[in-house]
Amino acid sequence: MAWIVKESAKMKIDRRPEPYLTDEMKARYEKDVLPRYETKMGAMMPILHDVQHAYNHIPYQAMEEIAAFLDLHPGDILDTVSFYEEFHTHPVGKYTIAVCQSIACEVCGHQAILDHLREKLDIEPHETTEDGKFTLLALECLGACDDAPCCLINDDRHNKLTIEGIDKVLDSLPD
Amino acid sequence: MPLTDPVLCKRIPTKPWGDPKDRKLITYDEYVRTGGYQALERALDMDPKDIVEEVKAAQLRGRGGAGFPCGVKWSFLPEPDGGRRYLAINCDEAEPGTFKDRLLVDFDPHYVLEGIAIACYACQLDTAYFFIRGEYRHQAKTFERAIKEAYDNGIFGPQGLLRGKVDFAVECYQHRGAGAYICGEETGLLEAIEGKRGWPRIKPPFPAVKGLFGRPTIINNVETLAAVAPIIEKGAKWWNEIGCESSIGGPPSYGTKLMGVSGHVNSPGVFECELGIPLSKLVNDYCDGMRGGKKFKGAIAGGVSMGILGPDQFDAEMDFDIGKKYDVMGLGTACPTIFDEDTDMVAVARNIARFFKNESCGQCTPCREGAQWIYKLIGRIEQGNATSKDLDLLLELGQSMGAMPGTTICGLADGNNWAIRTIVNKYRDEFEARVKPYSVAVNATVGATG
Repeated sequence: MAWIVKESAKMKIDRRPEPYLTDEMKARYEKDVLPRYETKMGAMMPILHDVQHAYNHIPYQAMEEIAAFLDLHPGDILDTVSFYEEFHTHPVGKYTIAVCQSIACEVCGHQAILDHLREKLDIEPHETTEDGKFTLLALECLGACDDAPCCLINDDRHNKLTIEGIDKVLDSLPD
Repeated sequence: MPLTDPVLCKRIPTKPWGDPKDRKLITYDEYVRTGGYQALERALDMDPKDIVEEVKAAQLRGRGGAGFPCGVKWSFLPEPDGGRRYLAINCDEAEPGTFKDRLLVDFDPHYVLEGIAIACYACQLDTAYFFIRGEYRHQAKTFERAIKEAYDNGIFGPQGLLRGKVDFAVECYQHRGAGAYICGEETGLLEAIEGKRGWPRIKPPFPAVKGLFGRPTIINNVETLAAVAPIIEKGAKWWNEIGCESSIGGPPSYGTKLMGVSGHVNSPGVFECELGIPLSKLVNDYCDGMRGGKKFKGAIAGGVSMGILGPDQFDAEMDFDIGKKYDVMGLGTACPTIFDEDTDMVAVARNIARFFKNESCGQCTPCREGAQWIYKLIGRIEQGNATSKDLDLLLELGQSMGAMPGTTICGLADGNNWAIRTIVNKYRDEFEARVKPYSVAVNATVGATG
């Protein structure tokens, strides 16, 4: 119905003059990523991982540029990005702390760890601290049930967590 | 027959043959020095069809959860027509409680790569995608390095397998997922490799006929492929001596299996055992018993979607009969999570329901909506706000969203139903103690008025 205007239709995209997809990145994708897949769309996930790695999240402008690069519609990129929980459309903290909340971690006491982090960082899961240093996430199984309770801080997994242990790890992270 | 020497953990120190503290990454040189890539050498001397027959004779059943015979799956492929054919390796180990493939990728990635090379030659597949879950960040780096080593040493690449020993070239790439449980479903995995959201596809057409990019595709679990190399090296007959026959007239459970035990045990971890080992033996002999000497209360059979083994099922044999014998869905990944007597089973049910609610991909309505309702209902029961009628509603909901053959495209809803149904049935008294009796307020006056 014409008088209903979807929120998304009014969405403003933050833009910057220089492109997110640099010529170096494009050349690298042409050489290393595109030949691996039969369709251009197949190259999307490796490219999204790379863009997120470079810019901490995947800005909407970057999605438009990826779409142009892969001959796709920007909606195709958003469709994939919004489906996977590891892709962020908005900035996240320098360190993302993903606490596993699945069954083995729950019965081994993940709640105490999560509550401690909420209190210490003064944020709820899926929020970022004001200084932009930490994002707290509560995720489903990280595949380390023998080391429960566990969490991922960026690329490193920390096992058999205790409150003292996680404090020590967090205090050792540089600003 | 019990396992006397480790097979899959040949190079990975594992109890009772070694100390997990001594584990280290096996590099290409170390792998070759200890007899690696001999099975590939041997396989390349064989006719591809004979390799498929050998794996069929071994009755190697898939280690990823469904237990489908690997050789039979391979024989579904149509004859090569000159176009591309794919192998997709499923390392999306996202099922809560499951962490067995991680062991192979962490320490012995070339074992997996050798299996990949043999499978590609046997089925004449020219490209392999190793799909690894996004959360395995460290493992993805390890495996990427191993793939590079394999390329540098001529295992893969345009010159042909094993430095051009045969005129058949295989390319092997890693593809990282990004945190979606549903990508462990085989067709969801294909969609993710194609760059789309991981929505499972309707079958048929089956992937063997029309899979990745519309071409014939085989999807195998990491552990299944790792088992291919020893089968080729030592023969199907040797493989059939490990494991057990079915006690109920079903297909046999041959071979060795990685079993990852977690939860309330003293030494959780991944162990290699023959199929058919009783759960109590696994816990007592391999994991040093229950933590704090507590009593066994229950165990998730092998990943939460398989359902739960009750307090009287501690001696359940871990083989492919387990589903029919102990009222669970199946063996799954054979990674049990053990609960002791202090565990609140309503909280366990709530945790599992939340998992399925979070990980339902949203494609089919019964699963998307049903998983939400189940989670809310269990939440009400846990907080003491539910009535006895809600308990029946819970079971009815589970039954109507997934009971094989289910109402949905993939098995996620079935898994949700099995998990919730078996917990409620096996611990019904605990649930009943948390609900209020069902009563309805009627607006009627009793007795004479006026």
